[in-house]
Amino acid sequence: MLTNAVRPYRRLRQTIYNIVAFTILIIGALPAVWIIFTAFRPGNEVNIRPAIWIPHRLTLDAFEKLFGGNTDVAAAVPVRSYMWNSIRVATLSTLIVLILGTMAGYAFSRFKFRGHTLIFLFIMLSRSIPGVALSFPLFLLMRKYDLVDTVHGLAFVYVAVNLPISVWLMDGFFRQIPPELDEAAYIDGCGYWTAFWRIDLPLALPGISAAAIFAFLASWNEYQLASLITGTPDAKTFPVGLYDFTSQFTVDWRGMCAMSVLMIIPAVVFVLLTQRSMIRGLTFGAIKG
Amino acid sequence: MRKKIGLLLAVLLICSVIVGVPGKQSTVRAQDDGPQYAGLDKDLSGITIRFAGIGGQPYEAMYDSFKVFEEATGAKVEIVFLGDGFEIDRYLKQNYAAGTVDFDVAWNHTSFTAQYVDFVEDMRQYFTEEELAPFSPAILDAATIDGKLTLIPRHADISAMHYRTDLFGNADYQAQFESEYGYPLAPPTTIAEMYDMAEFFTNVTKDTDSPVYGTQFAGKEEALAGRFYELLVANGGNYFNEDWEPIFDNEAGVATAQWMRDLYENGYIPPDTPNNIWPEVAQNFCDGKVAFYLEWYGWYSYFQDPNSCAVAGKFGLTRGPVGTAGDVHTGWAGAHAFSIPKDAENKEAAAQLIKFLTSERVAYEESQLGLLAVRGDVWGRLIAEAGASEDPLAVPRLELAQQQIAEDFFTPPLFADWISFTDLWFPTLQSIMLGDVSVEEGLAQAVEETTGLMEDLGYYD
Amino acid sequence: MLSLLTERFSSGVFVIMNAFTQVMGIIWRLLPFGYLWNLVPYDRRRTIFPLLLIVPTVIIILMVVLYPLGYSVYVSFTPLNMLRYEKTFHFEQSTMWRNYERLKDDEIFIRSLKNTILFLAVTVNTEFVLGLLLSQLMARVTWGQGLLRTILMIPMMFAPVLVGFQFAWFFNASVGLVNNAMTSLGLMQLNDPKPWLVDKPTGMIALMIASIWMNVPIMTIILLAGTLSLPNELYEAAEVDGAGFLNQFRHITLPLLRPFILIALTIRSLDVSRAYDIVRIMTNGGPAHRTEMIWTYAGRMAIRSNRYGMASAISMAGVILGILFTLYLFRQLVKSRVVY
Repeated sequence: MLTNAVRPYRRLRQTIYNIVAFTILIIGALPAVWIIFTAFRPGNEVNIRPAIWIPHRLTLDAFEKLFGGNTDVAAAVPVRSYMWNSIRVATLSTLIVLILGTMAGYAFSRFKFRGHTLIFLFIMLSRSIPGVALSFPLFLLMRKYDLVDTVHGLAFVYVAVNLPISVWLMDGFFRQIPPELDEAAYIDGCGYWTAFWRIDLPLALPGISAAAIFAFLASWNEYQLASLITGTPDAKTFPVGLYDFTSQFTVDWRGMCAMSVLMIIPAVVFVLLTQRSMIRGLTFGAIKG
Repeated sequence: MRKKIGLLLAVLLICSVIVGVPGKQSTVRAQDDGPQYAGLDKDLSGITIRFAGIGGQPYEAMYDSFKVFEEATGAKVEIVFLGDGFEIDRYLKQNYAAGTVDFDVAWNHTSFTAQYVDFVEDMRQYFTEEELAPFSPAILDAATIDGKLTLIPRHADISAMHYRTDLFGNADYQAQFESEYGYPLAPPTTIAEMYDMAEFFTNVTKDTDSPVYGTQFAGKEEALAGRFYELLVANGGNYFNEDWEPIFDNEAGVATAQWMRDLYENGYIPPDTPNNIWPEVAQNFCDGKVAFYLEWYGWYSYFQDPNSCAVAGKFGLTRGPVGTAGDVHTGWAGAHAFSIPKDAENKEAAAQLIKFLTSERVAYEESQLGLLAVRGDVWGRLIAEAGASEDPLAVPRLELAQQQIAEDFFTPPLFADWISFTDLWFPTLQSIMLGDVSVEEGLAQAVEETTGLMEDLGYYD
Repeated sequence: MLSLLTERFSSGVFVIMNAFTQVMGIIWRLLPFGYLWNLVPYDRRRTIFPLLLIVPTVIIILMVVLYPLGYSVYVSFTPLNMLRYEKTFHFEQSTMWRNYERLKDDEIFIRSLKNTILFLAVTVNTEFVLGLLLSQLMARVTWGQGLLRTILMIPMMFAPVLVGFQFAWFFNASVGLVNNAMTSLGLMQLNDPKPWLVDKPTGMIALMIASIWMNVPIMTIILLAGTLSLPNELYEAAEVDGAGFLNQFRHITLPLLRPFILIALTIRSLDVSRAYDIVRIMTNGGPAHRTEMIWTYAGRMAIRSNRYGMASAISMAGVILGILFTLYLFRQLVKSRVVY
């Protein structure tokens, strides 16, 4: 009786939810859409007032310019090397962060030892120090060890910067895996390492992918330290390269937008690949649906 | 081919005017010695010259010329850093301070060079008087600090009045302006006229299809402090006296600050001025949104390109205005340049590279992109060539630039902390413009802060 | 005496760390690990194993963060000026508090501190509320979840530098999207554009909008993950009891989401200084210090003015602010963990 009256109302409500959710998110994504649009516009439509809202035609000029298809402006912005550097830095640092972060997170979640909380706090707090405070001494340090303007130098710094979040996320994930599993393994004669490697790690994989997204996006998008440590196309990454569009002459918004599109593609691919398990991972093991 | 013949004729014409007798000899000479390279006479095989410089599209052509140098000398040029003006400045300061210099040729600039004095070589050790002779003496003077030539200039720039010929030539506007202000409408020659005309053009175009702002200037950072400086000097003032005491709260300072504030308050300059810097102001003029303003010559080819700018063919250039001092024209100027750091490894090779990069030919090629040359021999060639150009502004522009560089050229005060000082001062000037403080209060506050800064830095010890 | 100690400290830390890395390198070469591990007595293994797992992380963080931080703290007690490195890079007990004493009376510093706190308070709270609302809405969506999540995460993928550039462009007075849109809608005269980034409250608001736009997705994703993990049975029971949406939200969702809320806030708090990129590009603290924040003030002081001593003292305020913020959230987090 009651249910019959409620059902049509419920369905309507559900539809409204769906529509409202999509509308809000699409509005939220509009700035991004505008950037993508701009990348494909003809140059004379970009910086004008009043605006031309709908592009008269779409063109790949901006990308052609980026990749040096037009020889007049060839190699003005060495996008290829920026992309390659970004990919190398982000993957290298993400891999190391995941390995070390998982190890440390496991240690913090499973074992009690002296200084446990203190060390954990120290790791976390190291992240809350703003880059401004570190920049010059860090430069001296990198200089001393000849790591300035190198991809691995930058990756090394990113590892340190991204470790706290990974350690902390992994600590959370491992806490959700019942410790009884480990105890059972020890009784069966497994060593600590085997228990970690064989039992906990596979269960924590979704969590690892969440940590991976954070680490990857952070190093992919970082500017401050990259601008400090790199200086030439040998090691410059995308965010630093964006400045090439502003130097000296007018800001080339369209070129910048085109580069943004290139910059976002790998991030989107990476997130698409990992988002499912990321959602699962962020629920810290309490998997549902 | 046609261009070449034109060039030849032009060179011939100029030569004949100069020499007075058109002789075959001079023609042959002009043909044979086109602009020459320099610095290619030594064998530098196996040496790697490391280079830290300024990046950006207009300079790419110069970096391409590295190949010629490498082929001729056997040296290898390695770029260790490229960035915009402030990035390269930070990079150099970090390395100079930390003693971690690993480059042989460094970017320099007349406005920045006082910071680097202690860290760079005296260029007279590497350049003979003969080699220095073609360079503009005014610039070399400005770059000589404590008897030390800190840099070799590459190209210069000076601010000149850019104005819209279509607006100033409009008969209706001319009539209306004369009846309202009592003198004829012509490109402004004084700072007071600038204000009148800014007011006039803003009001008169307000309700038309293409409203313009009367004038504009870059409204933040060193750009604002520098613009204020040249107006201040034209008004008979200065930032510092001989003892490095700040004196810009005097009459000239008040008048200049009041002028800027009034322009902003009344809407005769764009409302986002305090957030605008070089690219934005140039874009505004390029889009036809501004009637006249002081701008660098370096933008010329950009403004004159109908594909990029609405004002192409519709603007003219004239000398900077004078202020209440009467005979001082504005003429804030600067030159991009090269230096050799004291800690460089291959100083001789570095000097060779600098000789090459500032040679007649490289400078000539760079000047064709619209940048102002700093060598007399390049000037002659450019003016000769401009005579054949279809652009009616080509010759007057170069002649004007030459006159300005000879008569009006002045750099900001040459002390190591110029940039540091501007960073302290420009936000206060912004608060004056925005009306957060009164003109007198703001200037008094700025002078007090500056005194503190200079005290800290040991200028009064 | 103290000066000697601090000087020793800043270089000493690194010497020790360096030696430590080399020792670790030697140990690494002295494989096999298994053999070494067998030497560890059984009763000690439980304490030594976790330490072995943690050591590399701690070393790397020490190398990249501790030495520079020690250096910065040291420098903040000196009048270091980059153009006079040799002359000014020394410590004197009599003047060690000079930078800090000046900050105490520095109006601009106080203003930047206030602005920073205001900026963080407004952005983090707004992000949280928006994130919570969005996550509740998204949890109820029945079709296109995957697509929805991807759209949601788009702003997250933008580099802060990029967000800064784009929003600076959107809010640009002469060619900006916002003014153009308002003109097209007839809300603004063509010749009377609004300088969003210059005017007083709108400059800060524009910065906040950019920061919020970038950070809401992270909040939403974490809260969404939390909401999806809540047991359905509770809601069914509540429905049977006739509890309305608001009551369900208040008595079931909110308390159960608490750990996730804290996680989201902590992740966010660790990233507060990422806003620096946005602020630097959009206004760099200007005009007339109207949007000045600790990071921009310290950054300009260091890079433009060469006054590293002063800049370090200013950024110490940022360090303390960041640490306090993190500590507070972290304590809340530990508390909530005990409860569950």
